[in-house]
Amino acid sequence: MNQLRIIQLEKKFEDRKKDENPVFSLKPVHLTIKEGEFFSLLGPSGCGKTTLLKLLAGLEQADQGEIWIGETEITNVPPESRNFAMVFQQPLLFPHMNIEDNIAFGLKMKKVKRAERIERAREMLGHVGLKGYGQRFPDELSGGQQQRAALARALVSDPRVLLMDEPFSALDPSLREEMRILLSRIHQEFGTTVVFVTHDREEAFHLSDRIGVMSDGNLLQVAGAKELYEKPASIQVASFLGLKNILKGSAGKFGMENRSQQVELADSRKSSMTHLIIHPEKLQLSTDLEKQSTAEEIIFEGIVKQLRFNHGFYLCTVQTENTLLECSISSRQAETVSIGQKVKLSAQLKGLHFVSR
Amino acid sequence: MLRKIKPYLLLFPAAATIVLLFFGGLFDGFLKSLGYFPAIGETGFSLKAYSSLFHSDAFWDSLIVTIRIAAISSVLSAFLGAIVAVVVFMMHEKSRSGALNLWNRLFQLPLTIPHLVGGYVIVLLFMQSGFLSKILAKVGVIEQIPDFPVLVNDSFGWGIILAYTWKEAPFVALMVYPVLERIHRKWRDVSRVYGAGNWDFIREIVVPAILPAWTVAAFIVFVFTFSAFEVPYLLGVTYPSMLPVYSYQLYSSGTLADRPEALAVNLILALLTVLLGLIAYYFSKRWNVLKGWE
Amino acid sequence: MKRQRLLANTFLFIFLLMFIVLPFVPLVLSSFSYNWKWPNVLPEIFSLSAWKYVLFDNSGTWQAIGTSLLIAFIVTAINIILAVPAANALVRYPLKGRWLFEAIIFAPIVIPAFVAVLGIHLTFLRFGLTETIFGVVLAHLSPTLPYVVRAAMTSYNTLSIDWEDQARMLGAGPLSRFYHVVLPHLLPGIAAGASLSILISLSQYLITFIIGSGQVMTLPILLFPFISGGDPAIASAYSLVFAGMAVAALLILDLALKRYYKKKQAAASKGVRE
Repeated sequence: MNQLRIIQLEKKFEDRKKDENPVFSLKPVHLTIKEGEFFSLLGPSGCGKTTLLKLLAGLEQADQGEIWIGETEITNVPPESRNFAMVFQQPLLFPHMNIEDNIAFGLKMKKVKRAERIERAREMLGHVGLKGYGQRFPDELSGGQQQRAALARALVSDPRVLLMDEPFSALDPSLREEMRILLSRIHQEFGTTVVFVTHDREEAFHLSDRIGVMSDGNLLQVAGAKELYEKPASIQVASFLGLKNILKGSAGKFGMENRSQQVELADSRKSSMTHLIIHPEKLQLSTDLEKQSTAEEIIFEGIVKQLRFNHGFYLCTVQTENTLLECSISSRQAETVSIGQKVKLSAQLKGLHFVSR
Repeated sequence: MLRKIKPYLLLFPAAATIVLLFFGGLFDGFLKSLGYFPAIGETGFSLKAYSSLFHSDAFWDSLIVTIRIAAISSVLSAFLGAIVAVVVFMMHEKSRSGALNLWNRLFQLPLTIPHLVGGYVIVLLFMQSGFLSKILAKVGVIEQIPDFPVLVNDSFGWGIILAYTWKEAPFVALMVYPVLERIHRKWRDVSRVYGAGNWDFIREIVVPAILPAWTVAAFIVFVFTFSAFEVPYLLGVTYPSMLPVYSYQLYSSGTLADRPEALAVNLILALLTVLLGLIAYYFSKRWNVLKGWE
Repeated sequence: MKRQRLLANTFLFIFLLMFIVLPFVPLVLSSFSYNWKWPNVLPEIFSLSAWKYVLFDNSGTWQAIGTSLLIAFIVTAINIILAVPAANALVRYPLKGRWLFEAIIFAPIVIPAFVAVLGIHLTFLRFGLTETIFGVVLAHLSPTLPYVVRAAMTSYNTLSIDWEDQARMLGAGPLSRFYHVVLPHLLPGIAAGASLSILISLSQYLITFIIGSGQVMTLPILLFPFISGGDPAIASAYSLVFAGMAVAALLILDLALKRYYKKKQAAASKGVRE
């Protein structure tokens, strides 16, 4: 197995003027990425995801820890000898070489004969949908085409791991969508291990087998897209994923700050958890004002503040006593409510997710 | 470890070359100006060369001539350079790109040709029996050669001034031109929006904008003419001569005794240029002169 | 309005003509003259004798041109080898005492070279470096090197480290990275710096004269006796050869660079047609 193992990898960046406090540090990361896996590192800018990627590439030197690929340790192997490939934010096609020579560059460095180089480069051009563009120069291609060529260049020498550093962030939204589909397809075709850095949640969710969420140099949670969404390990993860309806509470009591309106939860197992997340689709909206909380169900009462159309359904914002809750409702139901109306929201206790700080 | 010292290793060959050949030369010259010269058995230090320099009229005359010539040359080339820049700029607006390229090259021609040739061009043009004198005689303004003023190898230094003005004006133009270009592209429309007329535009925007680059360019010309050798050697007189020529005269006049004095002149010259250079650097940084054209 | 503009244009044109072209007129006329007497605006006898002497009779001319160019090219080659790593360090690495290094390297721009050369002259003499081409090359290094460093720094400033990282990720070692990625990017800047270096080296008179002691005959050394009181026709012809050599050296470098890019461009347009 050629899995990529990252063992307690650590890196500090010192401020050159003041020696005491590191400006930024990547806390020890421990992670195994399976062969053929599409793994994303997701986090806001400055969270250390690019640093981790550069450590994997060898472009930065780790202070501590080891990197293994299969049974070989590569921590101190220089990047040019790791047989990894990397696609950067910018296409970085060498402007003085045509597309074919650009793509064949990695093979040239491996001393592959010219005829074979060009043949493989042409074949790869076909895979990324740039057939016939080989003789052109980078400045004759659009941004999206350039990034495709960069992808072809990375793939052509059959890398053990493909590293991608926000490769689509400089593209238009519509092109980004197109590139995502292309990348998905290519990943399936070639089965290369991919480590993909992004700050775009949708991009990560769309592409990845597993996602590592990072913040402030910490790897917070590693999980598949579905699990991350349904069961975020912490408030930080939840808020970065843009989850709504995060309620603060304590020792089995969750809900509004206002004590009188507290929702009592008769569930002592969750006593260490201090936050409750209710996904918008788990909330049922009802105009029946007679409903009361039960052992299986909690009820919030409030006033409709806003109705927003969103991809085929509506997001309804409800102002309860002290907090705003969002719930998604169907178009048909949306017709029955109006802004300013008093409604009740109910959620099954079973499906709720509790997290610690 | 290697990572840390790598940049110093990269710098070492270039820095060592300059230190050895240039600063070594300065230091060597400095020691010898103090009379320290073990090869001929002189191992003592004295300020004799400096004190005799400061007591000689030749040195002070030379310093005055040097400052005068450098100052007039830099002012004249600054004005001529500004005019050239504006003219070329106006031509650019009107001509096609092919002609434009030609003009660009042409007006840098005086910059490209060697100083000795530049000097000789001035000789042929301005000497008493030179080209201008011939033209004036043909037209009937003058009747014989002595009617034409002495402009070459004259004691005031007009020949040197003319040569520098002609050769350095394109340099000033080259410094000012990019600023002009920037103004044109970005600010003309803006100022129009705010209702500025042509004259307002020139007074309020063009002049203040080019002033820093212009001043610094003139200053650089000053520092250069202050310390250059070839043109005054060719176009000047033996007395009073500009400092670089004076130093060379002392050095090559034959007697070993004069050499410490020659090297003392050199060091004073170096010190003055460093001082002037620092002033130019300070203002160019402060006014951000170089930002537009790097 | 239109006439006014035409007038203005004519005026501008004449001004530039006066400024640039007029000074060369007597130089050219004089080189083709024989015993040109005052007050004739044109020489009474046109003659090729000065040119014949300069180009054919005096075998020293071609030798001097060769020596001048040889020195200029050696100086420039050394400069490039020294300047590129130095520029790399100054632009891309954190340095302690950067200002000191910059002050050292750029000092010869401000302080005239002959100051240092006069100082080191006797030391050169002792080491047997005077009267040799090698000695003259050493003397030409300090006034030229700073300009090449500066030009290379400008190029490095516009080269993001990402390019080299990208090449590394494609398996390129240090030499390959420099040859395939860094060098093509630096080339225009290096060419600009080389132009200046060649130009400055070609036009040195005093420091060549001091270190060469009149034995290393570059063109300015050969030319000086003529322009400081020799035959004006021969002096003019030599001046034109000298100026022509400087301009030609620059043009050739410029052209070579243009051709380099044109070749790329041609290959590019060929690709489009396919």
